[in-house]
Amino acid sequence: MAEIVKRKKSISRYFVIVLIIVITVIYLIPFLYIISTSFRPWTEILDFPPKIIYKPSIGSYIRIFTSRTVYPPGEKLSDEEVANLKWYERIVYNETNEEVIRMGDLPRRYLNSAIIGVTSTVITVILGTICAYGFSRFKIRGKDDLLFFILSTRMLPPVVVVIPVFLMFRYLNLTDTHIGLIILYTAFNVSFAVWVLKGFIDEIPIEYEEAAMVDGYTRFQAFRMIVIPQAVTGIAATAVFCFIFAWNEYAFAFLLSRKVAQTVPAWLPYQMGVLGYDWGAAAAGSVLFLIPVLVFTIILRKHLVRGITFGAIRK
Amino acid sequence: MKKLLISLFTVVLTFSLIFMGIGCKGAVEEAVTEAVEEAVEAVEEAVEEVEEAPEEVTEEPAVEQFITIHWAQWAPADYLEKLSEGFTAETGIKVIVEQTPWETFVQKYNTEMIARSDAWDIIVGDSQDIGNMAINGHYVDLTDWIIENGVDKTFTPASLTYYAEYPKGAGKYYAVPCEGDALGWAYRKDLFEDADNMAAFEAEYGYALGIPESWDNLKDIAEFFHDPDNDFYGVAIYGDNGYDSLAMFAEQVIWSFGGELGDYATYEVDGLLNSEGAIAGIEYYHELFQFVPPGFGDAFFIKTNDAFVAGIVPMTTNYFAFFPGLANEATNPYAADTGYFACPPQVGSDGEERQFAALGGQGLSVVAYSEKQDLAYQYLTWFVKEETQMEWAKLGGYTCHAGVLESDEFLNATPYNPAFKVSMEIFKDWWACPEYDELLRTFSENIAKYVVAGDGTAEEALNKCVEDWEEIFEAAGY
Amino acid sequence: MFRRIKDKNIRDDQIVYHSLRDSSIIRLFVLPVIILLVAINVFPLFWSLILSFSNYSAKMVTEWGKNPEMVGGVNYSKILTDPDMWYKFITTAKYVVLSVSGEMILGFGLALLLQLKFKGRELITTFLILPMTMSPVIVGLMWKLFYDPNWGMFNFLLGLGKIDWISDPSRNLYSVVIVDIWMWTPFVMLLSIAGLSAIPKYLYEAAEIDRASWWSKFRRITLPMVYPILLVALIFRTMEAFKIFDLPMGITGRGAMAPQLIAMHLYNVSFVTWKTSYGSAIGYIILIVIIAITSIFIKYLNKAKQ
Repeated sequence: MAEIVKRKKSISRYFVIVLIIVITVIYLIPFLYIISTSFRPWTEILDFPPKIIYKPSIGSYIRIFTSRTVYPPGEKLSDEEVANLKWYERIVYNETNEEVIRMGDLPRRYLNSAIIGVTSTVITVILGTICAYGFSRFKIRGKDDLLFFILSTRMLPPVVVVIPVFLMFRYLNLTDTHIGLIILYTAFNVSFAVWVLKGFIDEIPIEYEEAAMVDGYTRFQAFRMIVIPQAVTGIAATAVFCFIFAWNEYAFAFLLSRKVAQTVPAWLPYQMGVLGYDWGAAAAGSVLFLIPVLVFTIILRKHLVRGITFGAIRK
Repeated sequence: MKKLLISLFTVVLTFSLIFMGIGCKGAVEEAVTEAVEEAVEAVEEAVEEVEEAPEEVTEEPAVEQFITIHWAQWAPADYLEKLSEGFTAETGIKVIVEQTPWETFVQKYNTEMIARSDAWDIIVGDSQDIGNMAINGHYVDLTDWIIENGVDKTFTPASLTYYAEYPKGAGKYYAVPCEGDALGWAYRKDLFEDADNMAAFEAEYGYALGIPESWDNLKDIAEFFHDPDNDFYGVAIYGDNGYDSLAMFAEQVIWSFGGELGDYATYEVDGLLNSEGAIAGIEYYHELFQFVPPGFGDAFFIKTNDAFVAGIVPMTTNYFAFFPGLANEATNPYAADTGYFACPPQVGSDGEERQFAALGGQGLSVVAYSEKQDLAYQYLTWFVKEETQMEWAKLGGYTCHAGVLESDEFLNATPYNPAFKVSMEIFKDWWACPEYDELLRTFSENIAKYVVAGDGTAEEALNKCVEDWEEIFEAAGY
Repeated sequence: MFRRIKDKNIRDDQIVYHSLRDSSIIRLFVLPVIILLVAINVFPLFWSLILSFSNYSAKMVTEWGKNPEMVGGVNYSKILTDPDMWYKFITTAKYVVLSVSGEMILGFGLALLLQLKFKGRELITTFLILPMTMSPVIVGLMWKLFYDPNWGMFNFLLGLGKIDWISDPSRNLYSVVIVDIWMWTPFVMLLSIAGLSAIPKYLYEAAEIDRASWWSKFRRITLPMVYPILLVALIFRTMEAFKIFDLPMGITGRGAMAPQLIAMHLYNVSFVTWKTSYGSAIGYIILIVIIAITSIFIKYLNKAKQ
C-alpha cells in the first residue's frame, strides 16, 4: 500500500518536473527565435514557413556595426575589386550588395548606455546607502513622513511628470546630455534603493558600530568599516536593479536624447535602411544588448531574486 | 506649521538645485561628452587602423571648419553625406550629416529649435512643417538668396512651391529643394507579362493587362491577382497612421477623384474635403485595401517593400526613395523583373481626368540660430549647382533640378527614374500651416477607421474630419 | 570584522571628524536624496498642475499671456466629455484587468509547481526571470517579428492561419496582453514563492494529522498566508500595466490602429501634436486614477495584515 502511494507520488513528481521543463522551453522560444534570426542571411528572414536549418551568416552583426549605402542598380564590382574588399565589406557586398561607408552608431549608443547605466547606478547606490543609513540609525524628525514621501515618489507614474521634465530639460539645456539622463535615472531609482537598503541596514545590529565607536572610531569610519561590508549583499542586489532599470529605460531616453546621449533602447528599434526594415540587424543588436543583462541575471541570480522579492515585500 | 516649513524648504531646495544644475552642468557635461567622444574616437581609430595602413596626411587648415546637417535616418541621408565629400574636397569645410530616426525626427528638431539650439546649421525638414518653422522664426528667409542664385529658374516650379514656399503663393522661400520624392509604384513584370495571366485577365475584364491606366484599372489588377488561399495578395499599400503614410495615400486618391483637402488660402474645408470626389477617393482606398496582405493595418514603406521582396504581391506603392531597395538584386529576388510606374490618372465623376501623386521629400533650410550661416550659404550655393545635382541624382538622391531631370543621363541611370520624372510633374502636398500635424493626426484617425477597419462610411469619416478641422482652424484663429 | 577594528591604528588627528555632530550628519546623509526627489518628482508635479490649466503648446515660441494663457478647467472638461477619451480609459482598464489577472493566475500557479524540490530548480527559475530583466521595447520588437502574419513564427508554431496580431485593432490589444503576461508572470511567481516559503511548516503538519485534503489545505492555509504578498504583486502590476508605454511602442507603434492605451495617447498629444497643456491634464487624470486604485488595494492590504 505504502509502495503504491510512493510510486504514485513519484509519478506525479515526474509529471510536474516535465511540465515545468516544458513551460520553461516555451518561455524561451522567443529568445531562441531572435538568436536564430540574428544569424539568418538577409534573404531568408522573410521566408515562410521559416527554415529550421539554414546556413548561418554573421552579416546581420556586421550590418548593425556599419553604416552602408546600396550600390546603384546595374553597378557591379569587378572580381578584382571584390578581392580587394575587407572581409566584412565582402560579406556585406555579397549578402545585400551594399557598400560600407563608415562605422555604424551601435558602439556609441552602447557606450552611452553603459556610461549612463553605470554612473547613475553608482550615484544611486551611494546616495541610497547613506540615506538609508541615516534613516536607520538616527532619530530624524518626521522620519515616517519623510520615508512615506520617498516611497510615494516611487509610486508616482513617470507619465505624469514626463511633460514638465521635458520642459525643464529644455530650459536647462539638459536635453540629449548624459548628465540629464543620469540625474533622471538616479531620481527614479533612489527611492527604491533607500527602501531596500534600509531593510538591509536595519538587520545589522547597531551594537557593532557602538562598540567600534567606543574603540575610538568616528561615525564615518564605523559606517565605512562596519556597515558597508555587512550590507554588501544588499548593495549589490540594489545596484543590479538600478543598473537594469537604467539600461532598459525607453520612454525618457526616447524623448530626451537624440544623438550625444542616446541609449540603445531608444535607437535600436529604428533600423530601417533603403532595403527595408533590417530585421537581422535589429535581432543582432538585441542579442548584443541583452547579453550584459543576461550575464548579470545568471551570475547574480540569488541576489536578484532576493532583491525583487525583498524590495516588494518591504513595501 | 511643520507642513508649511517643509513646503517652504522644498521650494528653496528646488531652486538651489536648479541653479546648481545650471552651474555645474556645463563643466560636467563637457567632461563627460569629451570622454565619450574620446572613447568613440579611440574605437574608431582602432577600427581604422585595422582597416588600412596609414595614408599620407594632407596639410589641413589650422582651424577645421564644419557644418552640421540634420536629417532623418535613412539612405538618402547617407547619400548626402557621400555627396558632401565633394564639398569638403573643394572648400575644406567638413560636413556632418546627423541622422535621427523618422519616428522622432520632427519632434526632435522642434524641441531643439524652441530651445534656440545651434546644434545644426541646416535642417532637411519635412515639407509640411515649413509653416511652423517659418512662423516661429526657426528658418532663415531664403527668398533673396534663391533669386540671386537663380534657383527659382533652375529648379522645377512645383518643387519650389511645395518644398520651399510659405505661405503658398506668397513668393517667400525658406528652403532649397533637396530630396524630391513622391509616391510611385513598382510591379512584377514577369507576372504582368505572363501569357496565361494576360489571357485570363482579358477574359475577365475585357481589356489587356498592363501598367494601369487609371486607378480603377489598378484595382481590377489587384482584384485579379488577389488569391489569399495561396498566400498571394493583390497589392501592397499603406495602412499605418502614426505619422503621415495613410494620409499621403488618401490625399492622392482624393485629388485624383476630383476632391480637395480644402482651400489652402482661406482654410475652408466644408464642401471640399467632404465633396463627392473626396468621398469617391476614400471609398476607392477602402476598396483597394481589401486586397492587401494580412497585417497591413500598420504598413508603411518598410512593410510594402518587404511584402514585394517576399513575393506575395504583384505590385506595391512606395516613395521613390525606397525603390533602390527593390532594384537591388541581392535583396530582392525579383529585382530583374521589377518595373516602375507613376500614379495613374483617373477620370472623376465630372468626366475630367486628373493625375496626382502625393509628395514626400524635404528641403534644405538654414537654421536661424546657427552661428555658421555663412558656411551654410556656401554649402547651399555648391549644392544647387548643376554638376552637384547630377552627382546627387547618380548617388541615389532625387534631384528637383529641372535640367538634370530632363537629361538622358538621369533618365537612363535607374529603371525608376523615368517614373520619377513623371511624378515630379503631378505631385501635390498636404497643408503646410503650423497645425499640419494636428490635421494629419485627426485625418488619419478618422479615415483609418473606415479604410482599414471598415467602420462607418467614407462620408461619415470625412464629415467628422471636416468638423475636427474646422475646430482646429478656429482655435488657431484663421 | 572585529579583527579589522583591532588592527586599525587610529591617529589622533582623526578625532576631528568625531566632532561632526550627528545632526549635521543627518543633513548630509538624508538631504541629497530628498532634494533630488523634490526636483525631479515634486516640482514637476506642480509645474504640470499649473500647465494643465493653461493652453500652452511647447512647439510654439513662449509668449506670456498668449502661450501659455490661463484658461481654467477647459482641458479637464474637454477630456471628460470626449467619448474617445473614455474609450481610451476603458481600453486601458481592459488591458490592466486582462494582463494582471493572467499574470496573477499563471504566476501563482507556477510558484505552486515550483514548490516541488528537484535538481535544476534554481536554473529554471533563472530562465523564467529572464524576460522581466529585459528592455520592454526590445522585447516588443522581438515579438513584433514573432507575431508577423506573413513571415513570423507565432502563427506557424501554434498552427494558426495568417492571423494579424499587430495591426488589427480588434486583436492587437490582446497581443500586447500576451507579451505583458509573458514578461511579468515570473514577477508574480517570485513574490509568490517568497510568500509560500514563509509559511510555517507546522501548519501543514498539523493539517496532515487532521487528514485534510490538498484543496482544504490550500484554501485554509496557503491562500490566506500568501494573500498579503499577492496583493502587493497586484498593486505593483496594476500600476505598471496602467501606464504601459514601451511594450506597445515596440510591438504596434503609436498609430491610430494601435491599442488605444492612455499613456501612448498622452505621448501623441504632448509630443506629436504638441498640445502640451492638454497632455498635462491627461497626466493628472492618470495620476488621480492610479492613486484611487492603489489606495483601495492598500486598504485591503492593511486589512489583510491585521
